[in-house]
Amino acid sequence: MTASTGNYAGPLEVLLVEDSVGDVRLTREAFKDAKVHINLHVAADGVEAMAFLQREGKHANVPRPDLILLDLNLPKKDGREVLKEIKASTTLGSIPVVILTTSASEADILRSYRLHANCYITKPVNLEGFLEVVKSIDNFWLSVVKLPHETRL
Amino acid sequence: MLESEERFRILVEGVQDYAIIMLDPQGKIVSWNAGAERIKGYTADEIIGEDFSRFYPPEDIERGAPQEELRIAAVSGRYETERWRVRKDGSRFYANLVITAARDSCGSLLGFSEISRDISERKASEARYRGLLEAAPDAIVVVNEGGEIVLLNLQAEKQFGYHRDELLGQKVRSIIPEGFAERLIADGTRTAAEALAQEIGTGIELYGRRKDGSDFPIEIMLSPLESPEGTLVTAAIRNISIREDAQEHLLKTLAELKRSNDELVHFAYVASHDLQEPLRMVASYTQLLAKRYKGRLDSDADEFIAYAVDGSNRMQGMIQDLLAYSRAGENGKALCEISSENALQEALTNLQASIEESGAVVTHDPLPNITTDGTQLTQIFQNIIGNANKYRSAEVPRIHVSATKTAGDEWIFAVRDNGLGIDPQYFEKIFVLFQRLHGREEFAGTGMGLAICKKLLERLGGRIWVESQPAKGSTFYFALPQIGVK
Repeated sequence: MTASTGNYAGPLEVLLVEDSVGDVRLTREAFKDAKVHINLHVAADGVEAMAFLQREGKHANVPRPDLILLDLNLPKKDGREVLKEIKASTTLGSIPVVILTTSASEADILRSYRLHANCYITKPVNLEGFLEVVKSIDNFWLSVVKLPHETRL
Repeated sequence: MLESEERFRILVEGVQDYAIIMLDPQGKIVSWNAGAERIKGYTADEIIGEDFSRFYPPEDIERGAPQEELRIAAVSGRYETERWRVRKDGSRFYANLVITAARDSCGSLLGFSEISRDISERKASEARYRGLLEAAPDAIVVVNEGGEIVLLNLQAEKQFGYHRDELLGQKVRSIIPEGFAERLIADGTRTAAEALAQEIGTGIELYGRRKDGSDFPIEIMLSPLESPEGTLVTAAIRNISIREDAQEHLLKTLAELKRSNDELVHFAYVASHDLQEPLRMVASYTQLLAKRYKGRLDSDADEFIAYAVDGSNRMQGMIQDLLAYSRAGENGKALCEISSENALQEALTNLQASIEESGAVVTHDPLPNITTDGTQLTQIFQNIIGNANKYRSAEVPRIHVSATKTAGDEWIFAVRDNGLGIDPQYFEKIFVLFQRLHGREEFAGTGMGLAICKKLLERLGGRIWVESQPAKGSTFYFALPQIGVK
């Protein structure tokens, strides 16, 4: 499946909040592997993620993401805080947030859902697993589900 | 009158147990009875007319004791003492004696009577008792029904910091806690059988009080003693501060051990968790290299990449198992009564795929309900049966689980297999972290399963061991305590 089916025409905008460049590249490669055409934006920490979402400074002209992939352990502003702020915001709250982290801790999982994360995924440790996960994200969030387009209306 | 005097004289002379002698005012012996002869060894003929001072030891004569004692008797009418005396043959005996002054109706001194008896035996038994008392390592205090201290030993002086004279006749409550002293007396008045050698103070914190007001922890043993002066209570008082110090030291060491153990657990968790991140990068990118470039570089490159992929995969396995080990039993639930048969079934369900693959036949006896952590028991069964299935011989694996209860209130579970068996020299090693007996080419795995079992069992108050012979199969045993459900 491709990103265009069942959704708004044109490539989907995905914000990846991830501090590890290795992980960023791996995610890019995984999307490439899944033959998905998306615009992948990257914020390296929580502060930058919020700046991006609020289109501050150099992010003035960025698109509003259709999906956010959020790591929990981030420098400057923790992923949990970012999640809380997004979900508390009237304008950003409707964007689906996929938690994509190495943490498998029950406490993190519970807390994330309590903060209204849309789903929680623990990064598989091997490549095959990771590729599978990214393919699933693409398949489900970018193809199967209907995403809101409130700012585009 | 004369007749009655005569009768009296005969009576006195016949007394055997007491030496009864008459002295003139200067101390010359004027009469001598049978008892005196028996006790002191002289016949009347030998001794009458002699000075009574010859019964005194030389040191007493030197300090003028004979004259002094007569003087006191003359002045106060009576003098009583217990002293050493000397027999005719020079040997000594311990005498209890009373010297009484005899006066006529006008009050002039006629002489003295001296009545004495040999109390050497009593003295010796007292000395033995005293020796025993003084040699005792505990403070010993003898108390009468009035709560007064009538006897104490050297240790009592030392422990409580008093001189003996300061405590004799004092109330015992001045050295042991108020209230407790009363109990001590009350105990003494109970029947001997009830109160005999009863130990108090174990489990209760009791304190003795020194002269300087400081307290020290004690334990008391009481035993009553019937005596002519009424019931006496002997209290053996043990200073347990050394024991308490040792206990305190032990608790401190335990706390330190726990802290260092907690740190180690935390370290293992952090290390394995944080190491996983960079390793995930190594593994993912070498895998990506393999995926994208296999066959596109040369054959050396393919081989090198394959080794890198294998190495990183193995390291990931170890780190995950280390994480599992450090977390094992971490989320332990409160122990409750569970069916160990259910725990086994659950383990078999988890192992279903590998059991089907090997065609293993797993059987079991009826298994008991037991108070433990069911999840952890499942994990233990799973690791042991998983091993039995994995390290199988050429035969179809046959695995049998049974349980027996020991007299020591333990359940011993046995998992018997017909697998490869283990050389006895490895019986210890197999329970150690990352210890493996087989090459990776033979069997995959990191060598963590039994280490996790051991850790879980130790946390549950149990233990694990193995009996095996190579090529004859193994039986893994684990014991779990039978705990009463509250």
